[in-house]
Amino acid sequence: MTDLERHIQDIRMAFSEEIAAAETLENLDSLRVRFLGKKGEVTSLLKGLGALPPDERPRAGQFVNLLRDELEEQIRTRKDSLEEKELERLEREDHIDVTLPPRGRTGGGFHPVVETSREIIEIMAGLGFSVALGPEIEDDFYNFEALNIPPSHPARDMQDSFYFPDGKVLRTHTSPVEVRAMRAHGAPIRIVVPGKVYRRDSDPTHSPMFHQLEGLMVDTDVSIADLKGCLGALMNAFFDRPLAARYRGSYFPFTEPSLELDIECIECSGKNPSCRICKGTGWLEVAGLGMTHPDVLRAGGIDPTRYTGFAWGMGLDRMAMLKYGLTDLRVLFEGNVPYLLSGRNRSC
Amino acid sequence: MLVSWNILKTLVQCGSDIGKVCERLTETGSEVESVTRPGKKLSGVRIGKIREIEAHPAKSSLFVAKLDLGGEDAQCVTAATNLSNGDVVAYAAPGATISDGTKMGIRDFDGVESFGMMLSAEELGVPEIGLEFGILRLPADAPLGANAVSYLGLDDVILDLSITPNRGDLLSHVGVARELYALFDDAVFTSPRIERRSDNGEWPIPFKGVFIEDAGCPGYSLGLIRDVRIAPSPIDFRVALTLLGMRPISNIVDATNYCMLLFGQPQHAFDLDTLPDREITVRAAKDKEPILTLDGKMRTMSSSDLLITSGGVPIGVGGVMGGGDSEISDKTRNVVLESAGFVSQRVSTTSRRLGIRSEAAFRFARGVDPELMDPTLSYTLSLIESWKAGNAFPTVVRAVSKIREPKKVSLTKSKMQTILHWSDLSEAGRILGRLGIRRSESDDGSCTYVIPSYRADISIEEDLIEEVARIRGYNDMPSRLPQTFHERGDAGAVTRTQFDLRACAIGRGYVEVVTYAFVSSEAVARLRFPKDDARGKPVKLANPISSDQSDMRTTLLPGLMNALSKSLAAGWRDPVRIFEQGRVFLGDGENREEREQCAGLVFPGRDFKSPYGQSEREDFFSIKGDVIALLSCRGYEAEFRQGSEPFGHAGQTADILLNGERIGWLARLKPAIEREMDYGAPVYAFEFECAPLIEKRRPSFTEIPAYPAVYRDISLLVPCAIPVSTVMEQIRASAAELLWDLRIFDVYQGKGIPEGMRSLAFSLSYRNAKRTLTEEESDEVNNIVRAKLSEKGYILR
Repeated sequence: MTDLERHIQDIRMAFSEEIAAAETLENLDSLRVRFLGKKGEVTSLLKGLGALPPDERPRAGQFVNLLRDELEEQIRTRKDSLEEKELERLEREDHIDVTLPPRGRTGGGFHPVVETSREIIEIMAGLGFSVALGPEIEDDFYNFEALNIPPSHPARDMQDSFYFPDGKVLRTHTSPVEVRAMRAHGAPIRIVVPGKVYRRDSDPTHSPMFHQLEGLMVDTDVSIADLKGCLGALMNAFFDRPLAARYRGSYFPFTEPSLELDIECIECSGKNPSCRICKGTGWLEVAGLGMTHPDVLRAGGIDPTRYTGFAWGMGLDRMAMLKYGLTDLRVLFEGNVPYLLSGRNRSC
Repeated sequence: MLVSWNILKTLVQCGSDIGKVCERLTETGSEVESVTRPGKKLSGVRIGKIREIEAHPAKSSLFVAKLDLGGEDAQCVTAATNLSNGDVVAYAAPGATISDGTKMGIRDFDGVESFGMMLSAEELGVPEIGLEFGILRLPADAPLGANAVSYLGLDDVILDLSITPNRGDLLSHVGVARELYALFDDAVFTSPRIERRSDNGEWPIPFKGVFIEDAGCPGYSLGLIRDVRIAPSPIDFRVALTLLGMRPISNIVDATNYCMLLFGQPQHAFDLDTLPDREITVRAAKDKEPILTLDGKMRTMSSSDLLITSGGVPIGVGGVMGGGDSEISDKTRNVVLESAGFVSQRVSTTSRRLGIRSEAAFRFARGVDPELMDPTLSYTLSLIESWKAGNAFPTVVRAVSKIREPKKVSLTKSKMQTILHWSDLSEAGRILGRLGIRRSESDDGSCTYVIPSYRADISIEEDLIEEVARIRGYNDMPSRLPQTFHERGDAGAVTRTQFDLRACAIGRGYVEVVTYAFVSSEAVARLRFPKDDARGKPVKLANPISSDQSDMRTTLLPGLMNALSKSLAAGWRDPVRIFEQGRVFLGDGENREEREQCAGLVFPGRDFKSPYGQSEREDFFSIKGDVIALLSCRGYEAEFRQGSEPFGHAGQTADILLNGERIGWLARLKPAIEREMDYGAPVYAFEFECAPLIEKRRPSFTEIPAYPAVYRDISLLVPCAIPVSTVMEQIRASAAELLWDLRIFDVYQGKGIPEGMRSLAFSLSYRNAKRTLTEEESDEVNNIVRAKLSEKGYILR
C-alpha cells in the first residue's frame, strides 16, 4: 500500500466516523468544508497529486476522485436524511389540537315552516303543480263571497278575522288565490298556493298568523280518485315513507263533496294508546279537501258543466310541527334563535 | 253536540256496537270527538228504603238508618239531616264504589257500625240533579234492591259529535238516529210517538192570536198549559239533561229543553199572565229598541233583529233568547209555549252581534227543519201532561208566513261517473232513499229526487253525489295520479328567488326566522321615520288582537329586532345572525303595495371571545360580504355607497345598489336605538327588495388567461373624505384594458400620516390577453396610473 493509499484510507475512516456523529445540517456542512472545501483534506490531496511522479498520477487521481465522489455521496445521503428528520421535527413542533372549534361562523339553520313549504312545493311541482301567489290584504269578495261564504257565515265575524278601516280583510286562508288564479289563467289549471294567513286567535295551538298551502286542479276529467292520488303521493313523499290514509266526509263551503284526510300517526302508527302526537287515535288530521264547488268555479270564470276540479288546504305549520317534532306553534314566529337552533348545533 | 246512547237506542236499533257506530259517524262527516261513560266508576249502588232512621246513641250530629233493600237489610250512619222514615235512597254497600272511585267499607262511628253509605247527588257524579242539601232522595216507587245506576240512567254512554255547520238536522237525537239508519243497512228507525194537536180551536183563556209581520219568521205555533204546577222534572230526565250538558231548571223549562235535544226544535215558554196583551206578534226590531233578556241583561236591538212582542212590548229575541219579564217562575200558573221557525241568517247575525250563543240560536243559525214546529210542540205538551205539570190544552194557535215547496234535485249518471268513477244510479237511489231522499222521476241517465224538509243543505247535484259518496265511503274509492300533463310544475320566479336567497343565507351561517307581519306602533316609532317616509305610516288593523300587533309592517327590521330581543332574553350570548323573507305593506287605498323583502340582522354577541381573537367578531364588513353573496347568488353584483337611514348609524350606513339603482340598505343601528333596546353590543342589519333579483342572471364563463400577469403595488395618501371606491374607479379608468385585477391590501390612518389623510395600498395586476406583457410595458402603464393619481392630488409613496 502506498502512502497515498494509506492516506486515503485514513481520511475515509475519519470521515465515516465523523459523518455518523453529524446530527445537524450545520455539523454536516462543516464536515463538508473540512473534507471537501477549498482547503479540505480531499482537496489538498488532489492538489498534492502534482508532486507525484507522472506515471503514478493517473492512478492516484482516480483513487482521490473516487474518494471525493464517495464522500460527496455520503454527505448527500446524510443531508437528505437530516433534512427529513428536521421536517419531521418541525411537524411535531407544529402540532395543533384538532378538537378546537372551527374559525368563522357556526352553521345557520332553516325555519321549519319555510322548509316545509319548499319541500311541498317541490313535491307538487313534480306532479305538474305551479306556485301561484296572491295578496295578503284581500277583498271581501275573494276571501269570502267568491268562495261561497255568505255574509251571515260565522267566518265573517269580526271576532274571527282581521279587518282594515276600509273594509279589506287580512286573508283568512289561501283560497282567495284559487279564484284569482282561475280568473287569470282559466282552465286547465294546476296550482299550489303557499302563504301566510291570519285569524283572530291566539292560544298555545292558535297563532294570529299562520301558514297554509292550498292546491287546486281543474281539468276536463278530474275526480276524487285524482285528489286521493295527488294527496297520497304528497304525504308519502313529505314524510319519506308510505303512510296509511283515511278519508272522511266533511264540510267546507267551497267544496262539494268535502273530505278530510287523516294519515297514520307518524310517531306511533297507531300502536301507542298514550301517544302525545295522535292522542292515541292512531290518526293525524292533515288536510281539508274536496271537489271544487261549482259556484267557486263560476266565480273563477270557469264553466262547471265542462270542467271539474279538486282543491285541498293544509296547515304548513302543523305539517312542520309533525315532521320536525315541534310542540308549540307560537314560538315558531318569535324568531327565538336558541329555539330555532335547538335541533342542531348543540355545543354541549 | 252531546248524544245519549240510551236515548239513541230507543230511536234506532242496529247490530253494531258503539265503537262501530262512532267509526261510521266519523268517516261520514260527523266526527265523534269523545265517548264518555259518566257512571263508569259507580258499581254496586242499589236502591233502598229507609225503614227507620234515628239519632246516633252517642253522637248528636249523626243518624243511624236501617234500610230495606227489597228483602235484604242494611245499616248505615249518615250526617245528612234531610231524611225520614220511608225515604228511598241510593245505597252503596261495602265493596261498592262511588263516582270518585272510592270503595265502600265498614266503618265504626262511636260504637255503631256503618256498612257503606247512602249517596248524595255529588257522590253519584251528578251534583246538578240534587234538589236539597244531603242525601239524594229517589221517587217513592223506585224498585227496592234494583241497580240505582241504571234506574237513574247513569249507565249511559255520551258521544260528543262535531256536527259540521251544514248539518243542522244532526243537532238532535232524532236527527242522529235518522243518520244512523242511513249508515247501517240493518238499522231500524222508530220515530217518537206524537199525538198531534189540532190547530186554531178556541182556547178557554181568551187569546187574540199570533201575527207574523216579518218574513224572517216562516211559522209560529203556540200551545197552552193551564194550572201549571212548577216543580222539578222527574229525576231520570234531570239526569239525562245533565249528562247532555244542560242544567235542570224546572219541569216546564226542562221539557222544552229535553224536546229540543230530542227533535232539534228550540221552544220557549212564556208566563201567560205576565204578557202585556193576549196576543203575540213577530216583527223586526226598531233601531235601538231595548229588551231585557232572561240572562238579566239589557240589550239594544237593531232593525235586522227579530222580536217576539206582546201588546207592542218585546218579550223575546226571535230564535235567540226569551225576555226577562215573561220568564217562567215559581208563581207561574199559565204558560204559552212557543215553537217557531226563524230564518237562519237573521238569527246568526243577531246572536253574533249580541254575543249570545244560546242552544236555540246555535240550532236556528244552522237551520231547523220547518216541519218540526208542530210535532215538537205536541210532544212537549204531552210530556208536560205526563209529568202532571199542568193541563195542556188540545189545540194550538198558529200562523204561517209562507208555504214551503219541496225542493227537487237531479242526479246524472255522467256527473257521478266523472266525480266518483262510479255510476250505479240504482244503488245511489237506495242510499239516498235511506237518507229520506226519495226518487220522484227517472230516465236512463238521470233521476230526480225530492229533498226532505230537514235537509236544507242539499240543493245541487254535487250535494247528492256527496251524500252517496260519504255513505259508500271514500276509503274504498280508487286513487290515481292525474292522467294528463299540460305543462311542468314551476315554483315560479319569485319563489325560486326566495329559495336561492335562503339557501345562500343559511349557508353563510344565518338562522332563518319568520316573524309576525304585524308590529306595534312603538316598534315603528322607534325607527324614527321622518314625515315623508311611507314606512313611518303603516296600515293599521281595525281590530288588532293586541296593541303589540296593531300595524302592518313596512319593513322587516322591527320583527328582526324583536327576535334578537327574544333570543337575548332567552339567555343567548353568542353571535346572532338571523334573516327573514316576507312581505311589507306600504301605502294605502289604491296605492297599497305588498312588497317582497329580504332582510338580515347580525349581533356580534355579548362579551364576544374567540380562541382566534377579536378579528372573528362580526362587524359591518362581515355583513357586507353577506349582502354581496346574496345578490351574487342571483347573478348580480352589489354596489355600495355611503347612505343614510333614520334608524342607521350616521357614519355606518350604506345604500345597496344594483345597476346603479338603490334597492336597500346596510347599516349599523343608531347607537341610541341599540341603547333603548338594551342590546349591549352593536347591531348590524340589512334589507333589500327581492323584485330586482327575480330575473336570474346566468354567469358567462371566459377562457383561462394564457399569458402571465405582471404585479405592481401602488401606495398613496388620499384625503379621508374620498371613498376607496372612488380611488379604485380612478385607477381602473387610467389603466384601461391592461389592468386585469385591482385589490386594496392596506388602509392606514394615524401616526405618521398627515391629519385628514389616509394611506391606501393597492395591488394591481396587468395582463395582455394576446401575448406576454413585458416588464417595460407594465412599467409604462403603471407609471401612467401613478401620474394620473398624482394629478388628482394624491401623494404617491
